[in-house]
Amino acid sequence: MKYSKALEKTTSLVIALILIIAIIAAAWYAMQPAAPPTTPTPTTVTTTVATTVTQATTVATTVVQTETTTAVVEKVYIRFAGWSAGETEMKNYEKIIKMFEEKYPNIAVKYEVITQMFHENILASFGAGVAPDVFYLDSAWAPIFIEKGALYPISDLVSQDFMNQFYDFLLEPFKGPNGKIYGLPKDWSMLMLFYNKKLFEQAGLTKPPDTWEELEEYAKIIADKTGKPGLAIYLGGFNRYMPVALSYGAPKPWFDDPSDASWFDDPAVKKTMEWYINLYLKGKIEREKQGLTPYVVAPQDVGAGWLGDAFGKQEVAMVISGNWMIPFLADQFPDFKFGEDWDIAPVPRGPEKRVTMAYTVALAINAKTEHPDAAAKFVEFVLGPEGQKELVVKMGHTLPSIKGLENDPNMWPQHRKSLSFKYDLVQIFLWGPKSGELEGKISDIMASAMRGEISIDEALNAMKQTVEEMFSE
Amino acid sequence: MSKSHLFLSQKIKSLLEKRKSREALEALVLISVVTCLNMVFGYFAAAFAFYLSFFKWDYIGSMEFVGLKNFMVIFEDLWRGINGAYFFQAPFYTGLKNILLYTAIVVPTQTVLAMILAAFANQKIKGVQFYKVSYFLPAVTSPVIIALIFIWLFMKQGFINYMLQFVAPGFAPDWINDKNYLLYAIALVAIWGTSGHFMVSFLAAMQSIPRDIYEAAMLEGAGPIRRFIYITVPMLKPMIVYVVVLGLIGALQMFDLAWVMAGSRGGPGGAGYTMALDIYNEAFINLRPGVAAAKSIFLFVLIFSITYVFQKKYKVMAR
Repeated sequence: MKYSKALEKTTSLVIALILIIAIIAAAWYAMQPAAPPTTPTPTTVTTTVATTVTQATTVATTVVQTETTTAVVEKVYIRFAGWSAGETEMKNYEKIIKMFEEKYPNIAVKYEVITQMFHENILASFGAGVAPDVFYLDSAWAPIFIEKGALYPISDLVSQDFMNQFYDFLLEPFKGPNGKIYGLPKDWSMLMLFYNKKLFEQAGLTKPPDTWEELEEYAKIIADKTGKPGLAIYLGGFNRYMPVALSYGAPKPWFDDPSDASWFDDPAVKKTMEWYINLYLKGKIEREKQGLTPYVVAPQDVGAGWLGDAFGKQEVAMVISGNWMIPFLADQFPDFKFGEDWDIAPVPRGPEKRVTMAYTVALAINAKTEHPDAAAKFVEFVLGPEGQKELVVKMGHTLPSIKGLENDPNMWPQHRKSLSFKYDLVQIFLWGPKSGELEGKISDIMASAMRGEISIDEALNAMKQTVEEMFSE
Repeated sequence: MSKSHLFLSQKIKSLLEKRKSREALEALVLISVVTCLNMVFGYFAAAFAFYLSFFKWDYIGSMEFVGLKNFMVIFEDLWRGINGAYFFQAPFYTGLKNILLYTAIVVPTQTVLAMILAAFANQKIKGVQFYKVSYFLPAVTSPVIIALIFIWLFMKQGFINYMLQFVAPGFAPDWINDKNYLLYAIALVAIWGTSGHFMVSFLAAMQSIPRDIYEAAMLEGAGPIRRFIYITVPMLKPMIVYVVVLGLIGALQMFDLAWVMAGSRGGPGGAGYTMALDIYNEAFINLRPGVAAAKSIFLFVLIFSITYVFQKKYKVMAR
């Protein structure tokens, strides 16, 4: 009895001590981001030591031992952080990293997947001084990171030949004021029109709409003939509205000064914003008041989470979305087949131009990295033709960011078709240093007007005021 | 002076010599783990937030002292909201207004409901254990999962509207997508999710009420409802204060349900926007952690004063 009590005491003491040590160790480990654990290299070298000892004299051993130390010093660790579009993407990255480590045995890559709230996490890690060496960077976030000096100029690290492989317009968001490039796009997507061939047939339509007017007209015809809404759009969605404005001749958007609020005074902007908000006001709210099938809906109106979901469930006939929808449809709706059941077409054109939106994510290098050259080698490997063939083309999630892969046999036919569309302007999702914040605020106002809570004029004024206030500090 | 010092050290020595001193040491070691964690992630973080509220920062660059400017942002926002600006022009005001309404609905309802549930669970009915478990089940389920399930139940053609047509025909709101119902939908989920948790607190308190009081009342001819109102409720007063205070703290900080059910921007008309969501958006979307910290301090002061006043007023009466 007494003995067991004593035992209990000691055990609890030991457990407590282990816990404390573990916490201290964890804290210590976390404080040293670049502390290189020196295990992997020496193991291989130790075997050589053993063999030399058996073969030769002590002199040989000392020689080998000095070699050991140099090998340990040369081994470099870099941390690479990204989000993940699913398990396949993670596995493919692990595969590429393995290939890279085989090619460069003195560089080891630690792959860190941040599944949610990626940029928030990266910012927090910068705040704490433990940011990864290489990380994903969305175009909308690039200006802030560049302005604050958080990124290493990649154009100083890689050759001009390598840089020339990329599509120029994709490099634009990552260009600093000094002309240097601070991030290299890993892939990209653009908007296109997805349409349901069967619903088009039922409605007696033979071709996809070519202009914005036709888009609305077709949506109406489909709703009347098939009883399913013709078009789904997001409530809000400033970036989805942008191609309409630009195709009607609105100036290219750029917001970094209070005076830029005048963009919303442009007649093309006023006209198209009214049209876009009315799509929902007239297409959904007024139609339902009249007891008719709405011809425009938001995904949640048909019980869908997002546009891809609404289209895949065949609740709507048309959506305008990006390349990311293609693997989603293939994966979630295998019986809904490309070519037979649905197809893609260019984004409708306006009287001036045909415009689409492009979205890109880059790999960027931390300005404070201790191993810029190793990080650059890794970026070159992942983004070069070999890497993109494996990570982008074969996987079929998005489009490759370098030229020359358009005709790769592994390229998915849907993606290849989307690349064949001709546009007068491809607008990157980036309109100033606060693109992300602006997107949220303008979209809120748009959504409010689309629901009929405020008038279109009030909405335009509120948008102007938002821009003025955002940059007047 | 030195005498007392000597006395003290002797006392400590004798304390250490006792067998119990080992136990005290163990306790200290065990407590230190939690204390350290609390220091780092609780008190340090809180102190840092207070410090941060006087600075302009964007995580990457260096901090810049701005005095009370961050607090001015809050009062401008509130002033604008009072003057009737749209929800998106006065997000903090919207969040404050919503959370006060939400708290006013949730806290009284969940407290009363928890008490009633506890009274039932305290009876000697067959299968009472089953009821206890089913009431408590929501408390051990993740709020995010509860919210996801309820989004599905609250759909326009969902289960709740299906049941409603028998009770109130013609009343079938689009709960999640209608700005007039969203906050009530969230409040309903919160009440459902937390009542079971507080039921356990009430049940424990009820079981410690001496039986002879009830017996005396029964002899005097008091029925079960009168016994509940005149004996159980007054005897539970300290526990009611405890539950209301905890409920207030939880409700005013509500984030998870709104995040899932209304989205990070508060859903239609900003009806589901809360102060905690606004603090998050300020910190990570608008990249103004200083303003976010100032808003957190506002929320802290609000919670502190409400709970303080409540405790001051009712704890005295309870004793």
